[in-house]
Amino acid sequence: MNAINTGFGIWSPVVWTLLFLGVLGIGFWIWGAGRKDYKKNSDQTKPFLAGNEEPDPARLHVSGDHLYWGMTAGLRAYYDRIREWHTGVLSDYFAWFIGVLAVVFIVIGLLR
Amino acid sequence: MTVGIATAVWGGIVVLFGSGLLGLVYKGFDRKLAAHMQGRIGPPLRQPFYDVTKLMIKENIVPDHAVTWLFNGMPVVSLAAVATILFYLPLGGFAPLFSGYGDLILVLYLLAVPALAMIIGGFAAGSPYATVGAQREMVMLMSYEFPLAITLVSVAWRLATILPGAHTFSLAVIAAHPLWGMVGPLGVIGLVLLLISLLVVTPAELSKIPFDIPEAETEIAGGLLAEYSGRNLAMFYLADAVKMIVMSALVVALFIPYGIAAPLGLAGALGAFIDALFFLVKIFVVIFFTVIVVRVGFARLKVDQVARLFWLPMTAMALLGMIFLALDRIL
Repeated sequence: MNAINTGFGIWSPVVWTLLFLGVLGIGFWIWGAGRKDYKKNSDQTKPFLAGNEEPDPARLHVSGDHLYWGMTAGLRAYYDRIREWHTGVLSDYFAWFIGVLAVVFIVIGLLR
Repeated sequence: MTVGIATAVWGGIVVLFGSGLLGLVYKGFDRKLAAHMQGRIGPPLRQPFYDVTKLMIKENIVPDHAVTWLFNGMPVVSLAAVATILFYLPLGGFAPLFSGYGDLILVLYLLAVPALAMIIGGFAAGSPYATVGAQREMVMLMSYEFPLAITLVSVAWRLATILPGAHTFSLAVIAAHPLWGMVGPLGVIGLVLLLISLLVVTPAELSKIPFDIPEAETEIAGGLLAEYSGRNLAMFYLADAVKMIVMSALVVALFIPYGIAAPLGLAGALGAFIDALFFLVKIFVVIFFTVIVVRVGFARLKVDQVARLFWLPMTAMALLGMIFLALDRIL
């Protein structure tokens, strides 16, 4: 059923989509059997902050720096170095792209 | 390989509900054994069933600032995504139900979907703790995916060099041709390194200690699950139980796909039954060593420590395993 066959592996997007929708249906059926109600506009709908005052939602904007903090902090040595190479010049990026692609092809060529 | 509609439907129902029940049973063992290791009595083995039942009759609270449809939808999406992986995995000594329709690469991608659903659900909660938890889950996902991908692809690639022309990314083919006996000493060293890498990734995939930083109850009060309650939390709970089966079944399929029926001279229905029981034992052993022992013996890591762990030592170990497999082929 419209399976994509690469010679090494195979997968059918149609079958997966049908399976996913089927299981999603079963999931919503189980979910629907649960209790639906709660006390709207009561204290229980306020975000849990261990008793602290909730900050203004507008101030809770999550920036990219926040999102990637764990990654950049954990690999600080790498990011500090890589930022120096981040020149903003398009031709430099093309050179990096072609250089890395060449290395990848050499590795693939050696392994084939 | 094709599958009949009746087989697909009935097999699918057995796989889905069987794995859900099994996941909850293993969760019971997890809690009981972890309690004994800590000198506690612990809850009864059936406690996870009580938990799900109780959550289903508790209020399903939606926080004030939540994006309601995403907040309610993501727990079910998470459960559905992880449950569909079961159709592509060999279970109980049997070939995957839909082995002709998906392979290892699909499983690799599908493993990321439940985590993505949790991230979206966490952000949709509109709560500071949940936002922090979602951010941590995202960093975790970006950290362990690389060594996981190297491990899975290395095994399939090495098999492709031994079985040219076969669908070596198919888990049915991988499980039917264990690599241990098909490679030389260098290949065995490579496989051991890849196995260790996958065993370390497993608790991270399952967000278990020492990688439970997205939830971190004692620190951010449950993180991305802080605002979830009732039936929504029950869905995440079930997804977690099923994912435990999925990850351990993946480890078994890649590295310990052996049965005991053939060596014991058993065939037919009895042999299949014995192999199915042995599969449950293998699943338990994987869960015991990657989840239970680890979560009792280790403290929680910080998110930057997790990023460093997976991007440096674990990626290096997985790459070294791949290089050993490549050398085994070249020399």
